[in-house]
Amino acid sequence: MDSRDGREGPQLTAATSSFVLAAAVTVVFSTALAWAKDVSAPLKNFLKSLTGQDWTTHGLVDLLLFIGLGLIFMKTRASEGIPPRRLIGGLVVAVGMAGLGLALWFAFV
Amino acid sequence: MQILSSDVILLTHATFGVTGCLAALWVFVETLNAGLANRGRIRTAALLTAVAITAGGICGGFWYVHFYPVEKALILGGPWPLAHNLFMETKEHLFFVTATLAFLLPIATREEADSNAVARKLILAVSGLIVITGLTVEGAGAIVNHGVKVALLPAGDRVLHRASKGAPPWIRGTAAKVHN
Repeated sequence: MDSRDGREGPQLTAATSSFVLAAAVTVVFSTALAWAKDVSAPLKNFLKSLTGQDWTTHGLVDLLLFIGLGLIFMKTRASEGIPPRRLIGGLVVAVGMAGLGLALWFAFV
Repeated sequence: MQILSSDVILLTHATFGVTGCLAALWVFVETLNAGLANRGRIRTAALLTAVAITAGGICGGFWYVHFYPVEKALILGGPWPLAHNLFMETKEHLFFVTATLAFLLPIATREEADSNAVARKLILAVSGLIVITGLTVEGAGAIVNHGVKVALLPAGDRVLHRASKGAPPWIRGTAAKVHN
């Protein structure tokens, strides 16, 4: 499962790069879901109906998405084509956008 | 002195959150000085980060679901409604970002930071982001707490508090006498 072979420079293992990509996608998805819940009462009520609290369902969905996407990316080797430095940069940008996006959303919307 | 279970849960939640941030900072510093000697410590601290952030989230989530609705009503009826509308809303969703990064950290530290520059950069990025987002969540929690406090203070006491803030003790004493 090591993606180092045949690549120039230091690389990440397939497992690590897959879960880094999964984390970036999960962070963006979680932020989008927070926005969607805030504008859509039916969506919020649906999430609430699953566990009794929309926040709890949101957290479980994020957890399952992170693990599920990580395993899928590992199996499909989807992250292999992405240079590791770009993968790390993508994660940092995703987290920055999520933080600013949430604060600005709840401040002004 | 009466300590309620909700107090214990709330303070345990904050304690685990700070512990998770400190453990992530530990990972960051160890990774700056990564070598064969501290490879084990980096992995231990990464695991501690994930466990502490998860425990903090479980305690915080339990308190949020069972005890927060009353405090939310107080905040929204008080002078600082933004303590809920902005800070709690941002905090409760930003936590998912911190938690995702905390789950990623033990996976990232499986890499050899001492001999792989990209792995070192990844671990520094993930642990650094946990510290930043985690402390932001902690700070927002303090503002939520203050939102409840100012909502519970009667208006007169708030004015007195503001008027005597930073004043010498004899002025604070006089202000208290006038108020009484």
